[in-house]
Amino acid sequence: MVKLTINGIELEAPQGELIVETVKRLGLEIPVFCYHPRMKAVGMCRMCLVETGFKQPDGSVRMMPKPQAGCTLPASEGLVVVTDSEAIHRDRKGVLEFLLINHPLDCPICDRGGECPLQNNTMAYGPSTTRFIEMKRHLPKAFPLSQYVTLDLERCIQCGRCVRFTEEISGDSDLAFRFRGAEMQPSTFQLTDFESRFSGNVIEICPVGALTSAKYRFRARPWDLETSPGVCTECSNGCNVWFDHRAGKQVRINGRANDGVNEEWTCDKGKFGHDWYNSTSRLTKPLVRRGDQFVPASWSEAYEEILAAFADKGGKVAGLTGPRVSNEGLFLFKRLFSEAFGSDNVDHRWRSGPVPTGPVPRPLPIASLESKRHILVFGTHLAEDLPIVHLRVRKAWSQSGATVDVAYSAANEVERFAKASLRCRPGAEAALAKCLLGEAVWSGKATVSDAVRAELAGFNADSAEEKSGVSGATVRAAAARLGEGAVVLTSDRLLDAPEPPSAWKSLKALAEATGSEFVCYPTGTNAAGAELLGLVPDHGLSTWQILEGCKDGKIEALWLVEADPSSTHDAALETVPFLVYQGTLENEAMAYASVVLPMAAPAEQDGTWTNCEGRVQRFRQAIAPPGEAKPAWRVFAECLLRARPSTPFFNPGEVMEEIARVHPVFAPAQYSLLPEEGALVARESLVGEPAGGGG
Amino acid sequence: MSFEVFRDVVKPIVAGFGITARRLAEQKVTVQYPDERREQFDRTRWRHVLTRYDSGLERCIGCSLCAGACPARCIYVEAAENTDDERYSPGERYAVRYEINMLRCIFCGYCQEACPTGAIVLRKDFELANYEREDFIYTKEMLLEPIRR
Repeated sequence: MVKLTINGIELEAPQGELIVETVKRLGLEIPVFCYHPRMKAVGMCRMCLVETGFKQPDGSVRMMPKPQAGCTLPASEGLVVVTDSEAIHRDRKGVLEFLLINHPLDCPICDRGGECPLQNNTMAYGPSTTRFIEMKRHLPKAFPLSQYVTLDLERCIQCGRCVRFTEEISGDSDLAFRFRGAEMQPSTFQLTDFESRFSGNVIEICPVGALTSAKYRFRARPWDLETSPGVCTECSNGCNVWFDHRAGKQVRINGRANDGVNEEWTCDKGKFGHDWYNSTSRLTKPLVRRGDQFVPASWSEAYEEILAAFADKGGKVAGLTGPRVSNEGLFLFKRLFSEAFGSDNVDHRWRSGPVPTGPVPRPLPIASLESKRHILVFGTHLAEDLPIVHLRVRKAWSQSGATVDVAYSAANEVERFAKASLRCRPGAEAALAKCLLGEAVWSGKATVSDAVRAELAGFNADSAEEKSGVSGATVRAAAARLGEGAVVLTSDRLLDAPEPPSAWKSLKALAEATGSEFVCYPTGTNAAGAELLGLVPDHGLSTWQILEGCKDGKIEALWLVEADPSSTHDAALETVPFLVYQGTLENEAMAYASVVLPMAAPAEQDGTWTNCEGRVQRFRQAIAPPGEAKPAWRVFAECLLRARPSTPFFNPGEVMEEIARVHPVFAPAQYSLLPEEGALVARESLVGEPAGGGG
Repeated sequence: MSFEVFRDVVKPIVAGFGITARRLAEQKVTVQYPDERREQFDRTRWRHVLTRYDSGLERCIGCSLCAGACPARCIYVEAAENTDDERYSPGERYAVRYEINMLRCIFCGYCQEACPTGAIVLRKDFELANYEREDFIYTKEMLLEPIRR
């Protein structure tokens, strides 16, 4: 810690902390454009100028003759900083006048207008009139950088935030500055498409309206929007977002800071993937089949039909859920089947391979990846499956000096910074995992039981080339890097590869034998929650067995929640005598349904979702569901009530209390206890318990 | 007729008629509405109009600043992008929907003040009565000035 003085206030700060940050802690503000707390400071915009000086041994202060940029100035002993003097105000005015010379001031039509740092800083610190009467710079307006990002070069103030984002955070280096001086412009090399998976973030960090969203273009102004804190439900990362809506319609998604999950970033899948909320094919009314046609029905008619087909049929009925159902919905779905229908045939897993049994290790918190020494990303296209985990892995590499190896069968983004890429032949994941384990065992690095050792005969670095297509030297080096402080990271995509149990077991054994940690993140939005809530059959049929059973006539009634297996199993859906489709959107599965139930989307209901690291996060209702659509949990609760009269659940908070009673791991997730940033629910305590919401 | 009756009843009546008779010669302050209409003050603020440029293009660019300034929150604007084939206003942006709820409007004129292009102005048409509440939602078509020829 060093002692320094800011505006006459003496305080202590860690040595080397940047002055903009120190000043922020004091509750004062230094206006900035190019500085971003999560990126390296470059001092490009000169907006943060402060007067500096040093305390002399005799106690007097010797001020520097010129101001310095606060964003590149580290705190040091005896530093004196003045952020609020006459000269600084003049400097800021000058900088803003300079930045505004070529700025078109088309704020009324600019999508950034109303939430624009340049606008705000000009209002607060800038000159009120312009002295510039010459011709302004004229450049193309509304140039499409990609299908998501629109570039308006006239508005650019050349702060370089977007360029630095692609270099430092997303790592694709898709953007760069072309030309120099007043002509300098951010753009892609060769004017190709801006194809980053994280391109949406540059829209948010641009301090002017130079980079705007093509999807949000002219759709609303900030003061038209209502903003609700939300959770992205497009994948299992559970990114915190701001859900912006206007007149009951979803308008845009912005990143919301949660250091444990997404810091403040979003991926394009999440940021631009919520259009379906406003789709015209949203289901709005319960439908029942009469002959060849669907007729609108009341909820009670639909329930009666469903209960007639499902109630007390035992193992002849089954339910399959998709990924986007809330914890409360999943829990009541399981309970409905076990209590009212007497069936254990419920599943949520859609990966093609059979799922390995046995205790599942507790997933590592995403943020803890940063502190690891080495990460082996195995069998998953990380940037595609778990984009935000990908950013953490990259951050571990770029900021904490971790080494990263990647083993996957196709080109992927991790290869760009990986020490070694073990690109195996498609389908050779299991062989590669065995070779890695074999190499660790034969080199004496790891010890395994004799049974495993016997299976590994012939699998080592030398045979890796032939068995998986990865060179022996690479395998040898990759195996050597595993050990204490290393992580073997995979996702459930591994289960899509041939021989999934073998690959999964070998990989887990590899991690355990070398003393590394093993983490397998699920990719379905609430797959972790479904796993914890026991939405897997204990004795009943699993997903593919259920669908086969439909075809064979063993299953007489099937309930699909937000799931559509029609592309692979349309025969099953066609054969099953009674099919309930419950979902938000019309789809192919609906064509075979006997009853169709409209479902509220995540933002249209109160509920919690569990992300891949086991973090339960609450998403409060932001907008009203379309038509008569109901949240999934309410539908199950109402069915349950009709089948077995009991005290009804009035709100999802009560359901969560019941969940916490049945599954004690969820105790910290009760609404009254759940913190804003979500609660990590431990998985270990679940192991050995009878899984399932039998109640 | 006693003196008191004359003083308290007859005299005031006669005096009153006298005032009326004197005023008959002066100019009347009432007008025969609706046959006659009084001229209004220059800054009278009544019904809104969305004006056009001389070229016939709309001035409104759908920036929604009027909606932001409106203390009664009675303006709803939805913008869209001009294309070369379909051009409503100069520049990139135009209002595809522009609605004012006249029942909520307090005719303060802030929208006019906030408008960066001078598109929305409050003119002197004050006869806004109607029978249905829905009819008080003035749409863009109703507000837009006809093209002058």
